[in-house]
Amino acid sequence: MGGLYALMSIGISLSWGALKIINLAHFSFILLSAYIVYQLTVSFEVDPLLMVLVVAPLFFMLGVLVQMFFHLAKVDEFKSLIVTFGLFIIFQSVMQTIWSADFRRIGPVLNPYETQSFFVAGIAFQLPQLVAFVVALLIAGGMWLTFTRTYFGKAVRAVAQDPEMARAFGIDSRRVAVILSGLSTAFSALAGVFIAIGQTMFPQLAVAWFGIVFPIVILGGLGNSLGTLTAGVIIGVAAGVSSVLWGPLSAPLVTFTILIVALLFRPEGLITKRSIA
Amino acid sequence: MSARVRALVGFAAVALILGFAPNMQESLEFPRFYLIFLFTMFFWIAQASSWNILTGYSGYFSFGQGAFYGVGVYTVGVLVVKQGWSFMTALPVAGLLAGLTGLFLGLVVFRVRRLTGEIFALTTLAIAFVLASVARLSPSIDGGTGIFMTGTPLPGFLGEFTTAAYRLTLAITLITVVVAYLIHDSRLGWGLFAIRDDEPVAEGLGVPTFRYKMVALGANALLAGLMGGVWALQLGFVTVDDVFNIRVPLFVILMSVLGGMQHWMGPVIGAVIITTLTDRLNSAGLTDVNQIIIGGMLVVLALAVREGVYVRMRRRWVTTAVSFFGVLGLARLLDLNDSLISDFAYAMVATVVMMLVPDRVWARFGELFGRSHPAEEPIGAEDLTRTGP
Repeated sequence: MGGLYALMSIGISLSWGALKIINLAHFSFILLSAYIVYQLTVSFEVDPLLMVLVVAPLFFMLGVLVQMFFHLAKVDEFKSLIVTFGLFIIFQSVMQTIWSADFRRIGPVLNPYETQSFFVAGIAFQLPQLVAFVVALLIAGGMWLTFTRTYFGKAVRAVAQDPEMARAFGIDSRRVAVILSGLSTAFSALAGVFIAIGQTMFPQLAVAWFGIVFPIVILGGLGNSLGTLTAGVIIGVAAGVSSVLWGPLSAPLVTFTILIVALLFRPEGLITKRSIA
Repeated sequence: MSARVRALVGFAAVALILGFAPNMQESLEFPRFYLIFLFTMFFWIAQASSWNILTGYSGYFSFGQGAFYGVGVYTVGVLVVKQGWSFMTALPVAGLLAGLTGLFLGLVVFRVRRLTGEIFALTTLAIAFVLASVARLSPSIDGGTGIFMTGTPLPGFLGEFTTAAYRLTLAITLITVVVAYLIHDSRLGWGLFAIRDDEPVAEGLGVPTFRYKMVALGANALLAGLMGGVWALQLGFVTVDDVFNIRVPLFVILMSVLGGMQHWMGPVIGAVIITTLTDRLNSAGLTDVNQIIIGGMLVVLALAVREGVYVRMRRRWVTTAVSFFGVLGLARLLDLNDSLISDFAYAMVATVVMMLVPDRVWARFGELFGRSHPAEEPIGAEDLTRTGP
């Protein structure tokens, strides 16, 4: 599960770390993407994994639009909490209206991936989770390389540190922000694809993610993709072990305890060296 | 008489009038439904005002209202139903436990100096889920089965059950609003405002920031817990999903953002407007779109009126009075609807729309009518708009 959690957190971490926008609406983006994959798969009977090609560009555009709106409205870090909370509520009700509060799941005929599993060193890994982990690894590594090695990465880091100054040095900070926002929403959409393949969906699911994703984002360090991946795996394993030992309901308790301990001792995140900001 | 004494006398008068409203119900012949409506409104006024003591005054954004409220509801539920305590002894315990939850949270989050307000916000968001899972796991609290709250005995001098619950709600609401009022004009309040404007500077000037933040958070949690405890009376059936959800934090944020977070009156006005509107939307059968409207309002209001409508209502008091009473009178005259609450809702919507007009546009309107209307006229010490960077 760690890989999926990390995938869900990377987008939020990026937008918080680099754009100074805490985007609560990301949770509904993940779920919306999952529902779209579900709907397309069921309606047209296509392979759900192929839906990546549909939702990723779609949500990239959505991210671009959202960021342009934030620029127009001059949203700062504090206001972003209220505004995206409002957006979150709107998206939630829209999804509830379209797909109702019922449990939804792609049937086994259309979804061959769900039941397949691997055995590595005696531990069973379900295929969707394994693929999600690989994708998270690729994205985290890719983002890290981008931020440290490329011109675009340098521009992002400059914008994250001081947008005004970056603009003075000839960086189109608005364009950088728009692209970054598009990327982070596209990552959320990818997480949604794996949710659609591996899990049962219902509108309240997005609320339940709050308790897991925010500890990961804070533990990993804002905007730090590799840190987020590590934190995702730690939290995922901790939640998994506690579910086995004390039942699935105990997971939020364990992740929250980890968060509090971490806040007390390492408030700057697990990996101190930040890749951006 | 100083301003504070006058205000306290005013609060007492309001308390007496509203407290004896149930006795006058027979003679005035207003529907019993109005009492239930007021009951709901008091609940939200108390929740929004207590939230504002921390978030509005000190600037630390909290999503923890649902957690404190939930602790209150569950303490009363467990102590009264499962342990057989009397309600009046369980209620203070509910407040205390909620207060301790808040203080524990503060101890963890405020101790770490480097933590920003945003991390505080997300930690408060997470704590509701943690408490929810504790309640679900523990059979002595809930264990996933819920608690039936029916026929809780209340002290006889307060009247029969509904009336007694109404009076208790009113009492807690008044305590909350008076506390918010007293803090607003006290050393503590000024200290909190300084923290909101610029915490390092406030600390440098000798404001005991940690202590003040803890007091504000403790007061917020305690009052929210007390109100939750009283609210448990009218819930009937207490479940984890109904108590620890996103509704309470969402509504208190919306109400305070609408009314304005810098003045103690802001959340009160916001709560009155939002409760009236949601009540009308629900009775019009628009429950589905209700949430969408609420979310949309939150986005628009946060971007359009940063200081809240209360500050603008004071600044444009003539327009406020004209649009509110004008529309109210018109609705009464035309007899659009037999419900008085609907007419009030129309008047409130009209007033809020008038307040949404940006200051710049407003100043131009003033010029049209031949008088200069300074857009950013301060209204005394109470208009404490944010001055920091």
